[in-house]
Amino acid sequence: MKKQYSISFLILAFFLATGSAFKAKKPVNWPKTYAEQLFHITEVMVTDVASPPVAARIYAYATLASYLTMREQGAEFKHQPLLDASYLTDLKLELPSDQLQSPEFAGILAMLKVGEAIMPSGYLLREKQEKWINESLKAKTISKKELGNHVAFANDLTKQVMAIAKKDGYLQLSTFTRYTPKQDPGFWYPTPPAYMAAVEPEWKTIRPFFIQNLSEFEPKPMATFDLEKGSSFEKQLMEVYEVTNKLSAEEKLIANFWDCNPFKVEFSGHMAMGVKKISPGGHWMGIAGIAAVKEALSFAETAYVHALVGLTLHDAFTSCWKAKYETDRIRPETVINQTFDPTWKPLLQTPPFPEYTSGHSVISRASAVVLTGYFGDNFEFIDTSELFFGLPARPFNSFLSASEEAAVSRLYGGIHFRDSIENGLSQGEKIGEMIWRKVRK
Amino acid sequence: MKMTNSGFLKCLIGYCFILLHFEVEAQNQGFEQLNSRRSGVSFKNQLSENANNNILRYEYFYNGAGVAVGDLDNDGLDDIFFTGNMVSNKVYKNLGEFKFEDKTKSAGVAGKESWTTGVSMADVNGDGWLDIYVSYSGKGNTESRRNELWINQKNFIFTDQAREFRLDDASNSTQGLFFDFDRDGDLDLFLLNHHIQVISEIEFAKARQVRHPEAGDKLYRNDGGKFTDISDQAGIKGYSLGFGLGVVASDINQDGWVDLLVSNDYIEPDYLYINNGDGTFTDRLSSKFQHISHFSMGADIADINNDGLPDIYTLDMLPEDNQRQKLLYGPENYEQYALMIQRGFYHQQMRNMLQLNQGDELFSEIGQLAGISNTDWSWSALFFDATNDGFKDLLVTNGYYRDYTNRDFLKYKGDYYFKQAVAGEKADTLQLVTTMTSTPVHNYLFENKGDLTFQDRSMDWGFGEKNFSSGAAYADLDNDGDLDLVINHLNEIAGIYRNNSSKKNFLKISLAGSQANTKGIGSKVMLTSDGKTQTLEQQPVRGFQSSVSPILHFGLGESSQIDSIQIVWPNGQSELLTNIAANQTLEINQLSAAKSSPESKSAASPLLSKSSNPTPFTSKAAGFNDFKRQPLMLTMPSYVSPILAQGDLNNDGNSEVFFGGTKGQAAEIWTWQSGLWSPYSGFRSSPEFTDAVAIFEDFNGDGAVDLFVGSGGFQDYIGSDESLEDRIYLNDGNGKLIKSLTFPSYKFSTGTAVALDANGDGFLDLFVGAKLIPGKYPIIPQSKLLINDGKGNFSDQTAAFLPKEGKLGMVTASVGMDLNSDGVQDLVLAGEFMNLTFLVNSGKSHFEDQSSTYLQESLSGWWGSLSKADMDGDGDFDLIAGNFGTNSQLEASDEKLIRLYAADFDENGSIDPILECFIGDKAYPYPSRDELLDQMVSMRSRFTDYASYSKATVNELFSDKELESAQVLEINTMESFYLENQGGKFIPKMLPKLAQSFPIRAILPTDLNGDGSLDLILGGNENFTRIRIGMIDAGLGLVLLGDGKGNFKPLSPSESGLAIKGDIKAILELNTEGVKQILFGIHQQAIETYQLK
Repeated sequence: MKKQYSISFLILAFFLATGSAFKAKKPVNWPKTYAEQLFHITEVMVTDVASPPVAARIYAYATLASYLTMREQGAEFKHQPLLDASYLTDLKLELPSDQLQSPEFAGILAMLKVGEAIMPSGYLLREKQEKWINESLKAKTISKKELGNHVAFANDLTKQVMAIAKKDGYLQLSTFTRYTPKQDPGFWYPTPPAYMAAVEPEWKTIRPFFIQNLSEFEPKPMATFDLEKGSSFEKQLMEVYEVTNKLSAEEKLIANFWDCNPFKVEFSGHMAMGVKKISPGGHWMGIAGIAAVKEALSFAETAYVHALVGLTLHDAFTSCWKAKYETDRIRPETVINQTFDPTWKPLLQTPPFPEYTSGHSVISRASAVVLTGYFGDNFEFIDTSELFFGLPARPFNSFLSASEEAAVSRLYGGIHFRDSIENGLSQGEKIGEMIWRKVRK
Repeated sequence: MKMTNSGFLKCLIGYCFILLHFEVEAQNQGFEQLNSRRSGVSFKNQLSENANNNILRYEYFYNGAGVAVGDLDNDGLDDIFFTGNMVSNKVYKNLGEFKFEDKTKSAGVAGKESWTTGVSMADVNGDGWLDIYVSYSGKGNTESRRNELWINQKNFIFTDQAREFRLDDASNSTQGLFFDFDRDGDLDLFLLNHHIQVISEIEFAKARQVRHPEAGDKLYRNDGGKFTDISDQAGIKGYSLGFGLGVVASDINQDGWVDLLVSNDYIEPDYLYINNGDGTFTDRLSSKFQHISHFSMGADIADINNDGLPDIYTLDMLPEDNQRQKLLYGPENYEQYALMIQRGFYHQQMRNMLQLNQGDELFSEIGQLAGISNTDWSWSALFFDATNDGFKDLLVTNGYYRDYTNRDFLKYKGDYYFKQAVAGEKADTLQLVTTMTSTPVHNYLFENKGDLTFQDRSMDWGFGEKNFSSGAAYADLDNDGDLDLVINHLNEIAGIYRNNSSKKNFLKISLAGSQANTKGIGSKVMLTSDGKTQTLEQQPVRGFQSSVSPILHFGLGESSQIDSIQIVWPNGQSELLTNIAANQTLEINQLSAAKSSPESKSAASPLLSKSSNPTPFTSKAAGFNDFKRQPLMLTMPSYVSPILAQGDLNNDGNSEVFFGGTKGQAAEIWTWQSGLWSPYSGFRSSPEFTDAVAIFEDFNGDGAVDLFVGSGGFQDYIGSDESLEDRIYLNDGNGKLIKSLTFPSYKFSTGTAVALDANGDGFLDLFVGAKLIPGKYPIIPQSKLLINDGKGNFSDQTAAFLPKEGKLGMVTASVGMDLNSDGVQDLVLAGEFMNLTFLVNSGKSHFEDQSSTYLQESLSGWWGSLSKADMDGDGDFDLIAGNFGTNSQLEASDEKLIRLYAADFDENGSIDPILECFIGDKAYPYPSRDELLDQMVSMRSRFTDYASYSKATVNELFSDKELESAQVLEINTMESFYLENQGGKFIPKMLPKLAQSFPIRAILPTDLNGDGSLDLILGGNENFTRIRIGMIDAGLGLVLLGDGKGNFKPLSPSESGLAIKGDIKAILELNTEGVKQILFGIHQQAIETYQLK
């Protein structure tokens, strides 16, 4: 009798064991994985020296791909479908409707594939895709048998996402007459040391996702250029000069923490070297990732929140760049050097585009607003984005306070006037609020 | 056949003879590098790269060192001194027959451990024995940088007496140049220094107010054996911006006082210090040179065309081959260029510059025409007669040890730091440096052809070897009558190069000055033989960080007769020697010179003189940067004004002259009467137009002259712009011009027009040559044939009259003439990327392209002007066709076509014009990687680095299908021609070389010297080009005297009287009251009037 039971047990145990052997995948930390894979795209952007608005557009389409993967695979999201409030509200994708073994796997793959298609050095991501596939096979996230249809899905989706990207105005940018800086007082002129040509002067022609009419999101008017003592402009000019002349160690740290300059140039004789960093958009994508990890979001929600931030960044940059080239405002460095201190240099290297409004202020606020909407206010997090560049991890009490620090950092850095960052914050706030209002549940 | 022993031997000897003969023949040209073991010269300028000594720590780490040659022991043989940057200097005694002995140890001249730069030999203490001055630099302390003055103690022993002479200067020195600037008989010193830190932008303004003690150049005056620093009072600039790498002394303005050329690296312009004769110098570079090299390294000054005037040559770093060019070029930044001009840094372009001295302190830069503009990162330039044919040839040494400016490296470097940061690893800078590629290049040996051009003989004449070379010097080391070379290489044994050219006649001159200047530094020697004169100046410091032999060397070619030798000593004394035999070393003593001054050449009276009348019209700048609109064009089509035309509008016998406007400046008409200009009130134009062509004719047969104006330009005109419409103004009979409202409305940028009777009805019709459509360059628009009904109403009959539906090309010039003598006017057309086109009016009903009948081989060029005149007085019209010229980076021939492909390749709504040209033996796309990727997004993922693009041909950019459906235009010649009409066939003959030095935009045939034969006045230039092409400004208004037989002689500015700087767009002759006036329309300048005397 005992012998029979033990055999049954053995048989049962065997079935259980083999059963679980088929079903037991290694548990994946999806938010962490997502952030890591997205960083590969950031690395290629840095190699290509993608400008801030261009970087935001890349993030938008890449993260859109992972979101759409989950959407098409029937995932349920906490909030409204992302594209419902965009111009792509009627977007119908033609994809096989079968349930994928791992939509998450396909989502990441599609994200990398869009990155490959949209960036000049995108070919560098082929290696990362191979790695992703191999890792996932090893971790049994995906089986060899199912790999083929996941790859096909990702390829298909990528094609359709790229079809959208092809029509957003980017390809027509090179048909515009190139920008010529005005020589009149108060207008932007290229800044030292490299006097780089103005970046993306026609970016306002790129179609935003959520904003239907860019003129509805214009910032408040800036202080008119006026060097008379006591004028608003003059007071702000002196503020830049005085603040930067006595920066505390903490203020210097803040300026560097939010530098995010993809093009910083250093000269060594005949050799000009580009010292590269992530863009402002890249910094906030990083924060989105940190928050997702902290909240241990599912893959679907991770994809959602990253795409939310990605699309928001794109719209915010488009709005900001429109303001920059319509106001065409001079940078503090140029005015200061020309008028009273020819040897003054800002702590940060002035980036190559006009001053008003401050990019970091607009896009940081917009990102912070949607992140606050999603994760809640007073969401504490530790920002590790700048560890690579020798800057310590920095704790923040909330996304909004981080965005305020990002904004004021531009004053400490000596590259913006006060009204540019304050009105930039309001501009970003308005954009973020509009978007969140439309996508929240 | 059985051969006897002796027969066999004879054969063998014969065979050996033949072999030997061939060997000798093969070695009859060029130079042969000697084996160092046989010569005994084992010096090697070896660098040791480590954490403390590398290119990132010291800017000038790869600049190389120098060499000086001269007879140190007065035994008749020139000895050699090498400096080593990090190794000991060496001195070699010349034992004769190319054997040298290292005498460094006994001489005591090994030098200090610190960074050594240049060396020069000069008899500083005037005792008849050459001394040696060694310069030091580097990042060490003050003592380590003190320069050394090795005073010759005879017998190859030297002592450093720099301190005693007060020449132990601790500046960062490049070279010491000894010369007698104040003509007091002793040698002074110009010390060329450089800064060792690149100055940042912000400090520029401040830097120019303050003398930097170690970076600024210095002038030391010799006061009885003690040298005094008189830099400030002498006007010698000493900014920290100065990165002096080359210095040459020469009496540039030929006033008897020696001047100085200083070539500066980086952004600081070169200096042309003119000696004021009073102990001071003034930098007059910007009034003499219109553009200069950018990163100027070495330099030389010599008379390269034997016209008695010293020409100036500075070196830069532009490679010859496509691949290296494409790895070097970055994006063009017009704002940065404009800032550079605004801040006084002047027009600088990255290539070697040859400033041809045209006399009267006028220079024309013709380095590209000469063929010596692209020699890669170059250091030393030495003009010397290598072939003994009387013309000075050219050696250029080059090479930079690591590809520091390789754009991929710069990009990779940035990535490297990022990747290291991400990986959490420290960035190892030295490691990064040593990963830079290292590309040796061959030195260049150019043969002077005697016609302003040089031929590259590097490969055939012994300089095919690739290495890194810096300082160099020439001397007749074996006293066999030809000049040999010594070159200091980097990380390789220095090269001694024996001149193996076939023996020709020569004369060497050893000067013996009367006072302390024992070698006669500053003397000028003019040798005339066979009616031709050569000039040499005794200034041994030339090239880079080096000095050449103090023995002057003249090549005499086949001539063994010397007509005369004139020597002018530094103090002005001169002597004329005759009855001198060739093939010897002649010693000339100053003591024997008379106290007379040299006979001054009588100044020729110029043919034309500039009128002092106030100008009627000043052309305004077009003011657009067309490259912002279509970034891949090479020149700017907006710049056409001012055009000129003349007619008598009110029949009063006085000329009315039409001055064409540009957008923003309306055209005007002025009357010329009795030597005065007065505004003509019967005409009103509008500043919306850019006037491209104006024709005064009576179009409606009412006896009053009317006016046709073709509207051209580019600016911001859109394709449907009414400002592109051409206009007819009809004379109301009283001299008032009224715009006709019935003129056909077609819109393109007009290039040219001709009034001619096309349909034989006795009324003047119009051919209008279309040039382009603004924004759609280079798509060919439809030219027009407009038929006049006799009442001034024109109808568009293009379809009937013109071949190819009128799409003849980008037409810029046209003339009407009866080609086939059938009494009907035909058309000759020229344009950009267009054949010279001969359209014959057939039956007064249409024009047929019969180009191949009239011109045997097609001439497709970048034509800008066309003129007809009976140059040979045989009763028929000949043609003169003005082309782009050969003074640019672009060359064309039947085998090396320039092609222009145009299509909307990336289908984004804009035309992509892609130029393809030959660089070397293969054709490549002209745009740089940055230019191409900016224009075409699709190329960004195709060429992700500079390396991949640097090898790409046009077939790698586009598929065959894409190329086939594109508009393709070709050029097979860039030369300007005279085409002689010989019985209905035009025989092309290139105009003289000087006429090829600038794009010709205006031609006036006229008899200037009253000899009955027509001469030519040619105007042009192209100052509105992309940065990489650079301003082409060599034209000064060129007069060619015609002899009536198709030969033309260029006149110098002092002979012609013309010295016009700027873009000449039009030339008009006015003959009123028996006086011939010539008007010049110059862009952005006042109209200039010249009178024929």
